[in-house]
Amino acid sequence: MIRLDDVTKTYSEGNVALRRANADIAKGEFVFLVGPSGSGKSTMLRLMNKSEEPDSGRIFVAGKDIGELSNWKVPMLRRNIGSIFQDYKLLPNKTVAENVSFALEVIGRPRAVIKTQVPQILDLVGIGDKADKQPHQLSGGEQQRVSIARAFVNRPLILLADEPTGNLDPQTAIGIMRLLDRINKTGTTVVMATHDAKIVDTMQRRVIQLDTGNIVRDEREASYG
Amino acid sequence: MAIRFDYLAKETGTNLVRNPSLTIAAVLTVAVSLALLGFSLVFREGVSRVSERWSDDVEFIVWMRPDATDDQIASVDQKLADNPLVTDHSYVNREATFAEFREYYADTPEIVETVEPAQLPTSYRVVPAASELAFVDSLGQEYEGQPGVSDVVFAGEFIKQLNAITGLAISGVTVVAAVAAVAALLLMYNTIRTAVFARRREVEVMKLVGATNWFVRIPFMLEGLVQGLIGAGLAVLAMFGVNRMIRDSQAASELDFINSFVLQPADLGPISLWLLAAGAAIGAIGSGFAVTRYLDA
Repeated sequence: MIRLDDVTKTYSEGNVALRRANADIAKGEFVFLVGPSGSGKSTMLRLMNKSEEPDSGRIFVAGKDIGELSNWKVPMLRRNIGSIFQDYKLLPNKTVAENVSFALEVIGRPRAVIKTQVPQILDLVGIGDKADKQPHQLSGGEQQRVSIARAFVNRPLILLADEPTGNLDPQTAIGIMRLLDRINKTGTTVVMATHDAKIVDTMQRRVIQLDTGNIVRDEREASYG
Repeated sequence: MAIRFDYLAKETGTNLVRNPSLTIAAVLTVAVSLALLGFSLVFREGVSRVSERWSDDVEFIVWMRPDATDDQIASVDQKLADNPLVTDHSYVNREATFAEFREYYADTPEIVETVEPAQLPTSYRVVPAASELAFVDSLGQEYEGQPGVSDVVFAGEFIKQLNAITGLAISGVTVVAAVAAVAALLLMYNTIRTAVFARRREVEVMKLVGATNWFVRIPFMLEGLVQGLIGAGLAVLAMFGVNRMIRDSQAASELDFINSFVLQPADLGPISLWLLAAGAAIGAIGSGFAVTRYLDA
């Protein structure tokens, strides 16, 4: 589903964020990206949805070289890739339901579709009763559920998660991981960057470990390190 | 992929209301600069009316008698053409004269109605080789006694001075208006950029979930368009107001040529349309560019 082919990314200050990285992630896989801050985890995720361009190497998503994608086709790529973040990136002046329906509105879904899909997805992520609340009225875990609902409402092929449990207490984090696991079981490929050793150890999934831009380990059913 | 109308209306509406100080700043900027542009256009129109017949260095006009024969007209034409002291001359036929007449008396159609093109005299507009008063005077005299000529009229010193002054004034006002228009465009650009900056998170999320650039851009452009139109509307109102003030002023009743600067709704109409179009364009284009900065970041 996602293939990195000798990918290098250097930022303007000369920091190498990713050096000659190779990885092949199959459809339906659940992959953890682990490593210390600045090791290149986020860069790798950002390269996958063309938020960043590699300096060299090629990145394939669903069989297509996204480096050859013209700019106007990037939105179409992103519609197949859901993204969630440590800081949720919810819009503070919109309700929970509006935050989710916004994602459907901007890709031009008809209103009837939005009306049925939004309550469905909110129920799925377990916050069906919070539809009319503002994000600031929710706990961190609930806010992350809203952002997962927004990312998944369009049923993307891929879900990219950048430290989604980074701001959550362990108990809440487990809830979020259960949800991501469920989403993964529907066939969605999940790539998650994390620092959380306990989660990685418990889940026993594929682990790609990064250190200062180098992939130092790529192991199936593995632990944090 | 179509953008839903209700989405657009909602987005544009809330954005205009959410940041009132920025909206007002943008509207006023457009209003002031377009009002200046409008005044300069009105002023130009007025000046061209006053000095319509005296453009392009025409120093005197040879009026033919309405009953002058074709031979007489041809002979005057020949004499003008052969005269080395005449740089240029042009014949104004009955239709052209009538058109000018009708325009000149546009405010009083009852006069226009009583006149037929056939009753009007034709004329030659003459550009002499030099413009010194004595030279032009003696040159003009040569044609005064010609058969078929009824009168030779000279551009008075007054008209000449008026032309010089108003020409200068028009350039001045045009420059000011152009500077104001550029300022409006930049201010609009900055205003919207601030608005986009305040909503960069929203733009980020839109891009993240796969909104196309145009989908993000269009609500901002509509916002700018509405602001530009409101600003232009204020400018048009100001123009009508000032026009009315001039018309009702003491000077207008005492000085006839001031009346040339009072435009009729028929003349103000096209200028108003131009201003509204300019306002809409400044708003929409300025906004479009302002958003683009954030789209590709």
